[in-house]
Amino acid sequence: MITIEGLTFQYKNSNRNAVEDVHLSIRGGDFLGIIGESGAGKTTLIRAINGIIPHHLPGDYYGSVQIDGEDTFDVTPSAISLKVGTVFQDIDSQMIASVVEDEILFGLENYSIPRDEIEARLSGALDAVGISQLRYRNISHLSGGQKQKVAIAAIIALRPKILLLDEPTSELDPQSSLAIFRLLKELNEKHGLTIIVVEQKIMLLSEFVKELAVMKGGRLLLHGSVRNVLKNTEQIGKSGINCPRVATLSNRLTELGVKLDGVCVTLDEACSMARRLMYD
Amino acid sequence: MINVENVSFTYQQECTLKGITFHIDRGEFVALIGSNGAGKSTLSKLLNGLLKPASGTVTINGMDTRKTKSSTLARHIGFLFQNPDRQICKNTVADEIRFGLELVINDKALVQQRLDSTLQRFGFNPDSNPFQLSRGERQRLALASIIAAEPEILILDEPTTGLDYSECTQIMNTINELNSKGVTVVMVCHDMEVVLDYARRILVLSDGRLLADGSTKEIFRAEEVLHKASILPPQIPQLALRLGQGFENAFTVEEMAHSLVARTRPQFFEVKEDAI
Repeated sequence: MITIEGLTFQYKNSNRNAVEDVHLSIRGGDFLGIIGESGAGKTTLIRAINGIIPHHLPGDYYGSVQIDGEDTFDVTPSAISLKVGTVFQDIDSQMIASVVEDEILFGLENYSIPRDEIEARLSGALDAVGISQLRYRNISHLSGGQKQKVAIAAIIALRPKILLLDEPTSELDPQSSLAIFRLLKELNEKHGLTIIVVEQKIMLLSEFVKELAVMKGGRLLLHGSVRNVLKNTEQIGKSGINCPRVATLSNRLTELGVKLDGVCVTLDEACSMARRLMYD
Repeated sequence: MINVENVSFTYQQECTLKGITFHIDRGEFVALIGSNGAGKSTLSKLLNGLLKPASGTVTINGMDTRKTKSSTLARHIGFLFQNPDRQICKNTVADEIRFGLELVINDKALVQQRLDSTLQRFGFNPDSNPFQLSRGERQRLALASIIAAEPEILILDEPTTGLDYSECTQIMNTINELNSKGVTVVMVCHDMEVVLDYARRILVLSDGRLLADGSTKEIFRAEEVLHKASILPPQIPQLALRLGQGFENAFTVEEMAHSLVARTRPQFFEVKEDAI
């Protein structure tokens, strides 16, 4: 569905490549997490997928990004946005209306969705995200987590095939962060949405995403299933990110001579592993 | 050092904090935790005098914040905002650090001396434009500007939000170093791994009330408190809670690994070739 080949991009007035020779294939229905330290190229990669690069941000662009076989270089950003919805890092800069309903209607009306379809899309999006009760609320009175859900509902209403999110939980408390990831998982599993999320919280990624990509210095360092990626403790360490503590625990137990089937990436797995070691 | 006595605070008729009482001694490292809207940021602003209590008293080194000018309190307390961009206002790194120093120190030579030592300590280029630095670097600059004035108390509102792991570790190690030299640290934080790694005491806020006050280990073992405050403990303490008896003292990876090794059945140990 998304094929990135040899993508290299250097912003105008910068003296280094923000992404460099990135090759990545993302299948329809994937739930991919992208992690890496600041300046690793995560946001640039997101911008290259939604067409902001090269259409709105100038710079040197090499390689290609194809969505369903169409090169984003040759397609207008508005056409891309029918397939790819983006929730930006700064949620307040994305909100343009004062009431939840109006925020969602804004996108639908601007995409000239037929009038008789609008109500179904609006209520469907509110329902899918679990915020029907907020429909008439003032956005400025909502919590960070609720605002994040409104932003996701506004995108879902446009029925994109791909949802991109840039650090959606950076301002949220742990419970609200969990709620957002549970929602993303449901959208991925029940509605078949392809989801690509940039996130710094490795514990959330390891609990929810199917695939993990680790970036460093503009390059894609590791990509694969969460378990396979987290096995590479040495490269993970070099990439400047931390492993989930349960993964570090299973690696430490292996060092101490305990035979394990593999690395634990979730708390449930660590709990099962510990019980198996201790009891029949 | 910090004394909060039956403090309540109200934003536009909405009661945000209700009857909060606690005391913090010199040199403590305290985390304020709770879900969004629990009142953490409000409480942190009451501690540095940016907000004044509607009722009750906040005293810092014996000074009542309602009767003391913010500029006087600022000589004792450094406050780091969650978003460094709300704090940074100058066009060069050196000017930014100097700006804060000149607000609290009249002696020009001392200002220059503190500026030089801060630039050296943080490894900043004095001529860099703060707004061209990364988010993590801007956070370090905001912290540098505060600690240049050598406050006795540091109040930090979510100092690691938006930072990657390396940046987070760098910031927290700097804060930890200051704490080890006697600076009192009060930190609002959502990242429970950071709280576990650095704070020695936790105040749990829920719905504007102080729900619990205890050592970091006590709080991360208090299931009922955590549940009431909608707080997920860090992974290893969570695992310890699930495993139950015998894991009461497992808070770190190393402690958990050794607790598990001590209980692992023999067939799960690798047989080393040199042991045969």
